[in-house]
Amino acid sequence: MSHPFRRILCYALALSCALGGAPVQGALPPTEYQVKAAYLFNFGQFVEWPAGSYASASAPFVIGIVGDDPFGSVLDDVVRGEAVAGHPLLVRRFNDTDDVSACNILFIARSETALLERTLQAVRGRNVLTVTDAAGDESRDAIIVLKTENKRIRMRINIAAARANNLVISSKLLRPAEVVGAGPGT
Amino acid sequence: MSRAATPLRRRLSAITLIATGVAMLVTTVLFLAGEVVSVRRSSLQELKILSEVVASNSTAALAFDIPDDARLVLNAFRADPHIVSAALYDREGRLFVQYPDGSDTRNVPAAPGPPGYSFEGESLIGVAAVSEAQRQLGVLYVRSDMSHIYDRLMFYALVAALVIALAMLVAWFIARRMQRQLSAPILELAATARGISDRHDYRVRATPVGINELDDLTSAFNHMLGQTEQNERRMSAQVSRLALIQQITHSIGSRHDLNSIFQVVLRSLEEHLPIDFGCVLLNDAARGSVTVESVGTASAPLCELLGLGIGSLVPVGQNGLYRAMNGTLICELDTGQVASPFTQQFARAGLYSLVLAPLSVESSVFGVLIAARRGRQAFSSPDCEFLKQLSEHVALASHQAQLYGALQRTYDDLRHSQQTVMQTERLRSLGEMASGIAHDINNSISPVALYTELLMNNEPLISEAGKTRLDTIRRAIDDVAGTIERMREFYRPREARSSFAKLDIHAAIEQVLQLTEPRWRALPQERGIVVELRRDFAFVLPDVMGDEVELRDALTNLVFNAVDAMPEGGMLTLRTRAFEDAGKRTVHVEVADTGIGMDEETRRRCIEPFFTTKGQRGTGLGLASVYGMLQRHDAQFEIDSAPGKGTTMRMIFPAFVADAETGGAYRASRAPLQSLRILVIDDDPILIRSMRDVLEADGHQLETALGGQAGIDAFAAARGTEREYALVITDLGMPRIDGRKVAAAIKEMSPATPIILLTGWGQRLLDEKDIPPNIDRVLSKPPRLAQLRAALVDLAGSTYSI
Repeated sequence: MSHPFRRILCYALALSCALGGAPVQGALPPTEYQVKAAYLFNFGQFVEWPAGSYASASAPFVIGIVGDDPFGSVLDDVVRGEAVAGHPLLVRRFNDTDDVSACNILFIARSETALLERTLQAVRGRNVLTVTDAAGDESRDAIIVLKTENKRIRMRINIAAARANNLVISSKLLRPAEVVGAGPGT
Repeated sequence: MSRAATPLRRRLSAITLIATGVAMLVTTVLFLAGEVVSVRRSSLQELKILSEVVASNSTAALAFDIPDDARLVLNAFRADPHIVSAALYDREGRLFVQYPDGSDTRNVPAAPGPPGYSFEGESLIGVAAVSEAQRQLGVLYVRSDMSHIYDRLMFYALVAALVIALAMLVAWFIARRMQRQLSAPILELAATARGISDRHDYRVRATPVGINELDDLTSAFNHMLGQTEQNERRMSAQVSRLALIQQITHSIGSRHDLNSIFQVVLRSLEEHLPIDFGCVLLNDAARGSVTVESVGTASAPLCELLGLGIGSLVPVGQNGLYRAMNGTLICELDTGQVASPFTQQFARAGLYSLVLAPLSVESSVFGVLIAARRGRQAFSSPDCEFLKQLSEHVALASHQAQLYGALQRTYDDLRHSQQTVMQTERLRSLGEMASGIAHDINNSISPVALYTELLMNNEPLISEAGKTRLDTIRRAIDDVAGTIERMREFYRPREARSSFAKLDIHAAIEQVLQLTEPRWRALPQERGIVVELRRDFAFVLPDVMGDEVELRDALTNLVFNAVDAMPEGGMLTLRTRAFEDAGKRTVHVEVADTGIGMDEETRRRCIEPFFTTKGQRGTGLGLASVYGMLQRHDAQFEIDSAPGKGTTMRMIFPAFVADAETGGAYRASRAPLQSLRILVIDDDPILIRSMRDVLEADGHQLETALGGQAGIDAFAAARGTEREYALVITDLGMPRIDGRKVAAAIKEMSPATPIILLTGWGQRLLDEKDIPPNIDRVLSKPPRLAQLRAALVDLAGSTYSI
């Protein structure tokens, strides 16, 4: 390999590092919450919210987080500048006292496992897609549960819960997921 | 036949095969092209649908990064065995999953191209965006193998080729059958045409076969045959007419008289055209009409009905001839419908078609050829054209005949002139020589003549026998003078008629027989040869005017020739006959012998001067002078002769017509009543003395002068005295001062004094109208007493008793 060519390659690497961290990030395996942030963002694409879910046409599509925020700035980075069905994406972090129903997707952190049932109860029938990565029985009424199996994140989707919250989940999302609550009568 | 037909057969087959092949090929190509297009389109469509479905189904897998799910989705391509490879790429363009699972990553590109579908080689490449709710999540790459489709198309092409081959085979068989239907009638037509051209039978017609185009061809062929037949008929008619024209032209070309030409033409027309009546009329400009010149042999019976007998006149101007005489060919196809009386005549004679063809040369019409037929409309336009051409030929031939006649006459005239000129030229030298001799002889015999006459008139003591002898001497002298005269004059065309008198032909013959007796009796008898003489005289002969001396001379010549022609003896016949023919009376005088005769050459040349059969003995002037004499007498000369058959020489004189001038008879008398003083001038003393004796015997007073100057002097000396001369007689030819000068001098002194010129050339001066000025009368030597006396009476008023 000739001298000049090697020098050009070094410059190219330096330039790509200077421009942003994405290629550097891409080069590394993504962290668990980076993947989950992407999941949260992507749910906006595969779930259909009823017409009255937004206050106005320019109202934001809100992703709310309840409990200890495990994402840090990752989620904010993912949704920055993005939109769902014409609505700009907004990340809101709720306290326990807040009306958690003022969002379109509500991520309930593990730290809220104890309060999970109550939180779910609070948004029941309120057009909110409830997502949690809490394990255990408590999460059974959440619409989407993110589980980690063999270092891969898998989804468990409760159709009945989704229906209860007036949400239609795309079959494309259902196919790779574990579906529950799809008993007779649904 | 087959050689001619093969190309048609081959061509028809080729056309059929090519048409079939091209149709099949185009069909196949179109079908294959359509198939390719449709297959490609459907493949594209299928791939598109499949890709869209798979792309749509793989959104979640891509969005949530679930490769297993994506693999499951891609496995849907198994449904289509032609899809050989597929791949999903994520948003960043990284290979996400690949189909078939676990295959070589080199089967798919490292990075997908832009979305779209394209054929690359035997593959159909599709690149579809994978997106969910307008968010692109990745890209799907699909490659479908098209080779099976091309295999199928190849199979189709193979089948098509087979079908084409089969179709062409079938087409070939059908074409063979069809073309036989087509070519058979054409060949039949060709055979018909060939048969016609071989046999020249144009009545044959081809039969239609029931195929439109071929029937058109057949009917066109038949139509052409009709035309050809018509042309053939017209041509053969034309040829026969041309042959007729040629025959007629040939026949008339060798004829030189009009009537014979017209007869040939009319006979040929009657026999070969044919016509029922034909005649030729010639223009008679003087009478403003035309004359029937010639009528065809077969037409003769109709002449009476038509009033067109030979020689009859047909007036122009009140009939149809008028236009024909102006050079127009007239063709009347129904004479009954024409008002002209001339044309009506033909209708009455049963001739309803009539052609009048003008005969013209150099645009002047000199006649009309008339041809007529019994039927109406019986002359076609070729007939008229033929007659027109014929009339031109006939006119030309007639013109040539006239020209030939004129040429012949001119030629004859020219030959005659040439002969005359030649004769004149040949005789001129002899004539001049003869003139000189004659002059001398005349001078010499002048005293003999004068003294003889003096003796006869003035000597009463001479016995009767003496007078008879003197008369014989005088006649002999006259003959000598005449002979001398003719010696230089025989070649002259005519002598003054003044010397002509009524001839006693029988007496002249007797005199000649008497004069020539030694030749026809004495000399032959010495050699023991007998020439028998026979006189065969007409009882009465009409009077003939002429010169007796010349007649005797001519008879003498003829008798000598006759005797010379009978060296072994024979019969000499002298015959006279009177004839009357067409109001003209002639007298024939013949001298015939039974001698050796003449061949044609001799007979023809015998009257030429200097032509002789007598060798040194002959002068060749005998018959020439006879001929000259006869010319002068307006008489004709005929010679009948053949070798061994003897010769008859015949002189044919015109009989004397009563009212003609008697002329030439001299007023003679014995003695003068009035005496004249006469001066005689001559260089010849003997002549002077004889003149003195003769004139003094008549009672005149004569003075003489020897020579011209002496004469003038004598006249001058006597002028104004009682010795003045009433008349002067002078000789012409004298040394120094000749007769002309003498006459001029005397006339100058006394214009009233008559002068007589006496000359040995006298006759020639008279004839040539060359009488010198100042001369009142010319007398030939030897002078005759009678002539002298007549001149004295005329000029000086001296009277003689009659």
